[in-house]
Amino acid sequence: MAPTCAIFPRWRRLRRFRPFPIRVAAALLAALILPACHAGSAPPIFPPGAQVLQLASLDDVPTLDPAAGYDVDSWMFEQMLFDTLIRYSDAGVDLVPDLATAWTAAPDSAVFTFHLRRDARFTNGRLVTSADFKFAIERVLDPKTRSKGMEYYRGIAGAADFAAGRAKSVAGIETPDPWTIVFRLNAPDPIFPHKLAMPFAAAVPREVVARYGEDFSRHVVGSGPFMLRQWIGGQRIVLVRNPGYFVKGAPRLDGVIEAIGVSEDLQWFRFEAGAIDLSAIPPAVFPYVVKTPRLNALTMRIVTMTTRYLGMNCRMPPFTDVRVRRALNYAVNKRKLVAVINGRGIPANGVLPPSLPGYDPTLPGYPYDPARARTLLAQAGYAHGFAATLWMPADQTMMILGQSVQQDLALVGVNLRLKPVAFAPFLEAIRQPQTVPLFFSGWEADFPDPANFLEVLLSRAQWGANNDSWFYDPRFDTLLAEAAPIANPARRYAIYREAQRIAVANAPWVFLYFPVTWEIRQPWMHGLVLNPMRPARLDRVWLSAHPPAK
Amino acid sequence: MRANRNPTMKFRLNFMEAAGAAMVLGLAIAAVFAPALAPHDPVRAVAATFGDPAPPSLAFPLGTDQLGRDVLSRIIYGARISLAVGVAAMALTLAIGVTIGLAAGFLGGAVDSLLMRFTDVMLTMPALLLAMALVTVLQPGVLTVLLVIGLVSWTQVARVVRAEALAVSRRDFVVAARALGAAPARLILRHVAPNVMPIIVVMAALGTSGTLLLDAGLSFLTLGVPPPTPSWGRMIEESTAYFRTAPWLAIFPGLAILYAVMGFNLLGHGYLRRRGRRASTL
Repeated sequence: MAPTCAIFPRWRRLRRFRPFPIRVAAALLAALILPACHAGSAPPIFPPGAQVLQLASLDDVPTLDPAAGYDVDSWMFEQMLFDTLIRYSDAGVDLVPDLATAWTAAPDSAVFTFHLRRDARFTNGRLVTSADFKFAIERVLDPKTRSKGMEYYRGIAGAADFAAGRAKSVAGIETPDPWTIVFRLNAPDPIFPHKLAMPFAAAVPREVVARYGEDFSRHVVGSGPFMLRQWIGGQRIVLVRNPGYFVKGAPRLDGVIEAIGVSEDLQWFRFEAGAIDLSAIPPAVFPYVVKTPRLNALTMRIVTMTTRYLGMNCRMPPFTDVRVRRALNYAVNKRKLVAVINGRGIPANGVLPPSLPGYDPTLPGYPYDPARARTLLAQAGYAHGFAATLWMPADQTMMILGQSVQQDLALVGVNLRLKPVAFAPFLEAIRQPQTVPLFFSGWEADFPDPANFLEVLLSRAQWGANNDSWFYDPRFDTLLAEAAPIANPARRYAIYREAQRIAVANAPWVFLYFPVTWEIRQPWMHGLVLNPMRPARLDRVWLSAHPPAK
Repeated sequence: MRANRNPTMKFRLNFMEAAGAAMVLGLAIAAVFAPALAPHDPVRAVAATFGDPAPPSLAFPLGTDQLGRDVLSRIIYGARISLAVGVAAMALTLAIGVTIGLAAGFLGGAVDSLLMRFTDVMLTMPALLLAMALVTVLQPGVLTVLLVIGLVSWTQVARVVRAEALAVSRRDFVVAARALGAAPARLILRHVAPNVMPIIVVMAALGTSGTLLLDAGLSFLTLGVPPPTPSWGRMIEESTAYFRTAPWLAIFPGLAILYAVMGFNLLGHGYLRRRGRRASTL
């Protein structure tokens, strides 16, 4: 999705830079002020006894417009309000029908045909047809929309002409009848269906978009399990059940209320009071939750499709020497790092996380071996070590992790200076050549394919963009190009495994760990399933009888 | 120099002073002899308590933290930073504050107005906020921290010294010296400054506890001396994640800060009491 500073990525949110003391101060202040504000809130939207899920979040949802949203918060709501042709299963990353009933791919993976169900309606009453999907993707491709999803659909035949204004519509998207849509691509792309599972490609009603224009985000009309009822910026967002949703018996909830402006620490207090049904677990209470059996039983965890690494700039000495890069891999104690974050991770053996199709469990990675690290450093001419600066997003947990690495590297003679930087300038800095020698970084998958890691993070084409370690290996790039058009999973993944082995042998990163996300729910909340890659879906969630909030 | 009214009292400390002096001495000993006193290396992991801090035990009397470091050793080494930053920042504070205060109080007139209005402007800015801004701009490090603390905390000293200098410079012996033709520099250094000295001593003692707290505050906001150097404020900051499961991680460095601040405060207040004044008259 984006490089992330999240150490514990949540199903809800990317954790952004927020120095701890300020969070505490904000929480205390809010704790003093909020009870007063909330006495006698808005008139009830739901009748007594309605099944309403209570959530809380610090930041407002950036947008509800599927063409615009490209973050965890927006996607969580968009997937409740809209439907794509296909989507991921609740717990996995396998594609299942959403509004499409069936789909076929041509043998060369350059033509995809989808058949739609005929009973899905937008909440304004109109039937959803193939033209709505065509319109949605054209809207994303239209430069005027300034959609961040544009790049995913450029491979459709005629997309370039349409984007340049040379064509009225995208020639490669055909709608022979209201229930059939055909995509023709310029080149074979076996992972194209995954791009249609992104909310960018969700069906939107043309007439509503035409009526509200840029304001569509505030007046969204979709075909999903919920409808937008109220969105008071910075205060709360309320969704109600869509009675006409095409899946019978879903959703089970009558509505969802998310209170906005609630810091993570305050969320925890509200959770303990029974006022919210689901919460992230702030670091300040995580050890307490794990050690308290009553609370531990309410936690849910999932290995996300995320990787965390210590990037080394392959074009900045001494990291130009592969022996130095390997030495650092042997010198950093990954098990210790995972222990330091209370076990919320799995030590990494390479680039690809275990939940990703194509993961290579036979890859040995780099075990903790400081003696070997010293030997390698001596061979590279650094028998007495060297000094380096480790850049990191300024964050309490990052500083602890940084000190852990600092401890480890001191044992092999490498003296680290820790340089905490705010997240935005940090991202800017790692994209500059010859600027950042050593840094903490991470990546969350957009779609479950090795290309989304190997190509995005380590190919030559991504220098100055996402290839933050400035790694380049011609054979690695050749293998990526070779694998890209192959649809057969076994053959495709075999090539990617080979490529990953090259990357690991060249050690552009210290491969740190794959994070595990933890959530805690109330005992009366049922049916929640965490997904390794997407925000959890709420259409099968239900609530049993429970006491009112304290 | 004015003679002591009762020469026999010269070396008799009252209880507060004695207690304060003993505490500060203890702090100084911990700081100077840290390598000998600390049972372990304060930076390295000495126990495998990663992510799961261990409570106080025989082997580690104050427990170990989430990176397996010995809390006792870190507190002992932390005294170095606290004392060094506290005292050095105080010296800088005094250098700036006394110079401005003496100049304003003795010279009076336009110089006084100018210097004191500048002081007032500086006073309007909260010291911690100003310090945070300065540290963020400058490179983090011991030197930065003490420089910044010195730069933001001299205003109180300047005001008190000015008031004292103003009073002293109107006294007969100063007027007499001036009548004898003494140059302003000589008047300030030989006649005014020595008589302002007692108040400066008190300001130094009380102010050091202030700079210690400011240092701890900056460290708590992760703007202090960068890791791995142990500092009390950062120890507390790093232990916030464990305040429910391992409160000792925050309590012991907190007590260390309390101890240091109390030592300097007792020293200052005791000295004031012996001279028959209260801090509120400063």
